[in-house]
Amino acid sequence: MTAAPAGPGPDDTTARPDAPQQPTGGPIGRSVPRLHDDRLLRGQGRFTDDIDDGTALHAVVLRSPVAHGRLTRFDAGAARADGRAVLVLGPDEIARHTRPLPTVWRIRGQRQDTIELAPRTVRYAGQPVGLVVAAGRAEAEDVAELVETGYEPLPAVVGTDAALADGAPLVHPEYGGNTAGSARFGDSEDEVERALAGAAHVVTRELGVQRVAYTSLETRALLAEWTPGTEQLTVWAGTQVPHPFRYGLARALRLRVDQVRVAVPDLGGAFGGKTVLHADETLVCLAARLLGRRVAWTEDRAEALTASYQGRGMSATARLGLDADGRFVALDAHITGDVGAFVSQAGTGPFQVAAQAIEGPYRFGRAGASVRAVWTNAVPTGAYRGYGMQEACWIRERLVAEAARELGLPAAELRRRNLIGPEELPYTTRTFSTYDTGDYPRALHSAEQAVADAPRVREGRIRRGAAAVPSIEATGYGPTSLLEAAGMEAGGWESGRIRVNEDGTVTVFAGVVAMGQGIETALAQIVADRLGVPLGLVAVRLGDTDTTPRSEFSSQASRSVVVAGGALMRAGARMRERMHALAASLLETSAEDVRLDVEGEDEPVFRAAKTSRTATWAQVAHRGWLGWGRPDPDRIVLEETVDFDPPGLTYAYAAHAAAVAVDLDTGQITVEGYWAFSDSGPLVNPMIAEGQIAGAVAQGLGIALTEEAALDPSTGLPLTTSLRDYELPAPATVPTALHLSHTSTPGTVAPGGFKGLGEGGMLPAPVVVANAVADAVPEIARRLERTPLSPYRVWTMLRDAGLATG
Amino acid sequence: MTTAARRTVTLTVNGAARSAPAEDRTLLSDFLRHTLRLTGTHVGCEEGVCGACTVLLDGEPVRSCLLLAVQAQGRTVETVEGLADDGRLNALQRTLKETHGLQCGFCTPGVLMSLTAAEREGLDEEETAGQVLAGHRCRCTGYAGIRAAVAARHRAPGGPRQAPRGGGAEAAG
Repeated sequence: MTAAPAGPGPDDTTARPDAPQQPTGGPIGRSVPRLHDDRLLRGQGRFTDDIDDGTALHAVVLRSPVAHGRLTRFDAGAARADGRAVLVLGPDEIARHTRPLPTVWRIRGQRQDTIELAPRTVRYAGQPVGLVVAAGRAEAEDVAELVETGYEPLPAVVGTDAALADGAPLVHPEYGGNTAGSARFGDSEDEVERALAGAAHVVTRELGVQRVAYTSLETRALLAEWTPGTEQLTVWAGTQVPHPFRYGLARALRLRVDQVRVAVPDLGGAFGGKTVLHADETLVCLAARLLGRRVAWTEDRAEALTASYQGRGMSATARLGLDADGRFVALDAHITGDVGAFVSQAGTGPFQVAAQAIEGPYRFGRAGASVRAVWTNAVPTGAYRGYGMQEACWIRERLVAEAARELGLPAAELRRRNLIGPEELPYTTRTFSTYDTGDYPRALHSAEQAVADAPRVREGRIRRGAAAVPSIEATGYGPTSLLEAAGMEAGGWESGRIRVNEDGTVTVFAGVVAMGQGIETALAQIVADRLGVPLGLVAVRLGDTDTTPRSEFSSQASRSVVVAGGALMRAGARMRERMHALAASLLETSAEDVRLDVEGEDEPVFRAAKTSRTATWAQVAHRGWLGWGRPDPDRIVLEETVDFDPPGLTYAYAAHAAAVAVDLDTGQITVEGYWAFSDSGPLVNPMIAEGQIAGAVAQGLGIALTEEAALDPSTGLPLTTSLRDYELPAPATVPTALHLSHTSTPGTVAPGGFKGLGEGGMLPAPVVVANAVADAVPEIARRLERTPLSPYRVWTMLRDAGLATG
Repeated sequence: MTTAARRTVTLTVNGAARSAPAEDRTLLSDFLRHTLRLTGTHVGCEEGVCGACTVLLDGEPVRSCLLLAVQAQGRTVETVEGLADDGRLNALQRTLKETHGLQCGFCTPGVLMSLTAAEREGLDEEETAGQVLAGHRCRCTGYAGIRAAVAARHRAPGGPRQAPRGGGAEAAG
């Protein structure tokens, strides 16, 4: 071992190989309890809305009551005359003080590259047009009612079919059409058409996934404070992405980024809904700046369901071509994505990912997908957990199940003929995804076995059926070069910093964010493991633009353990070497002679084998900060920072199975058993991993059965404005018989072989339920094209099939 | 525009007498959170669906977002802050931690209060996991860890099954 590693700098891609992937006996791989659970259980969480100690003013956002129209009157005279009004902002004041927000993820041909904050032309019901600030929330709501507005209504464009119809009203007339942009992934249309023309059998379906609301239990919230003397804006915000949040705020408010600090308190769930800066959040910060005060705002549930961006909202014409042996010769999808009133920062990304991920774990002779992003008068869409990949899984596995049914082949056999085998990996798809490691047939076999004996009942009024499907999850976004090539203004790297303090405690800084997924515990485990110190020495600091590393993507896209964890794996190895070298100099021996053991009261102690001399970890750390006895004269500060830009994506995979009952009298679907066989490489904390998978399955069941953010088809007004109308998965939705199993095939991309798993649990859930329903009631299988499979929708199919009367 | 009526609300919260002014229209949830600064009680929907704001009013679980603060006048309220025993997690809290029955922790205070009431009432595991949990929405866990906690409590020595109806070990403590 050399006395000291190379100096700090960009990632050491040429340096020594990463740490071994087999269990070390350290904290990695252990289901240790989560570090922050105690305070959450005591009611001592600190969520954004908990911070105000009574000194903040409160904001209420004024929103458009129409889906499409021109704001012709904004009269705040009476409101401002009310003694309780502290500030009323209308569109003209907002325009005077701000610039539009930047977009991030664009599609070819997209000309709308900014987001207006409070335009005079409103394009969705709930779009902000102004802001009222008063001493308290209730007073602000009183004053808001005094603002008089008038709208000249314009015809609302509801749904992409209406948007693309001849003579459709234009959401953005300046662009001459309702198409925001389009792109093709994989083989060209001509090539896929030729392959389909030569197929022995082609299955065509119109498949769709509904709009859904993220519905974290904690709504969006922020507390903004402008300090006039220092001209600093401090924002405590429930965001997954503090650095892009800061960048957007600085741009919009014409500030330097270093005038803005964004700090993330406890997050009450996010699921992708907190990955962008919304206009209303920007307006609250503007109010704080104009007033030189603290201004708090917490979205209410109706706003969360109507004015927060939504997820999904896609339909596709999809075709699968098979040869006479049941081999997949061609796959094509024409995806139409509903981006809503404008392309949000995440914008068309989910639809592009659906196209990119269209093939899943199968071999196809030719495969391609086209995306057309369409403006409508609905709230914009963004990145909801599992985006793109879940839609792709829905499209692909409905086609495969329908092909099997039409051909009279067992679906399991059809899948087996076309699955990519472990001996074929690494495998590059027609859309240029390179799968690294795994055994997809084995996972699917496990899932099929799980439901082999599940009840199949095709008579009586309660039918029963089962299904199993495989899925693939692209994790660890991403190689920065891939994002750049995809036209996304984001770096995919993460920086991990480990500081050994002068008392031997260890503070870890990373750019990812804790939102309930337990990442702070997982990162602490990784660092404790790499350093060889007890977990209790390690504290993790996340989510503060003043202190934590810059990150574009932060915690989303199943990347936190892969990319931030990867950076910390390497930083940990370097810090371990430095601590050993410092200990060796103190113990007057070589670094190879020094061993670190944890003794007694969790006290790590360095021991020189030859001389039996010892020094505690804390003593070595203290001397290190003094600068005494350092082997490398240039390096004193006991910090190691590694920037990790993953060389590729790493692909987790799973197969899920479901057993369902269908009540022919009510159309009610009950999931009676659910099995998930997952492989996300080595698990840092299996307990946390299982929690992520269980929760994602439940969200997938919500897409399958209960959730839909619906609009009135003529007015474009939201129909689901409360949790009474927007039905979250309840305990009764999620079967008690929920079985989770894992295999652990290390990936080749990230140190430790880690793969992500935050989203994987929801990818196959909707389609495995639908396929099980098709198994139970083959009479309606042809029509299972869209989710949610609500009782009314299913009952209608049953009635049309002559199975139900009413 | 009318000036909102205001009066002093006096009640007992987690064993301590509290008194503070409140407008008639102020929700009990807002009064607890913003006036008394007991922010452990969370507000998820303000319409009685999600259950995050559940507290115990004279021992009964209620949605604090569906009550006005003035309705709690002279009554006894228990919130999540009152569960821990001198800073130490109580048995129910410990169990929820061990079974990974929470992720973001936002719905957790309400779940804890409902489960506390169920244990005191001596409800069995099926009633608790079925009817009591049905009153809560958790977006993170898929309910798996929460159900595991309920099951573990009913298996534990000294757990709620063994507790006398109307008052268990936790309530007595």
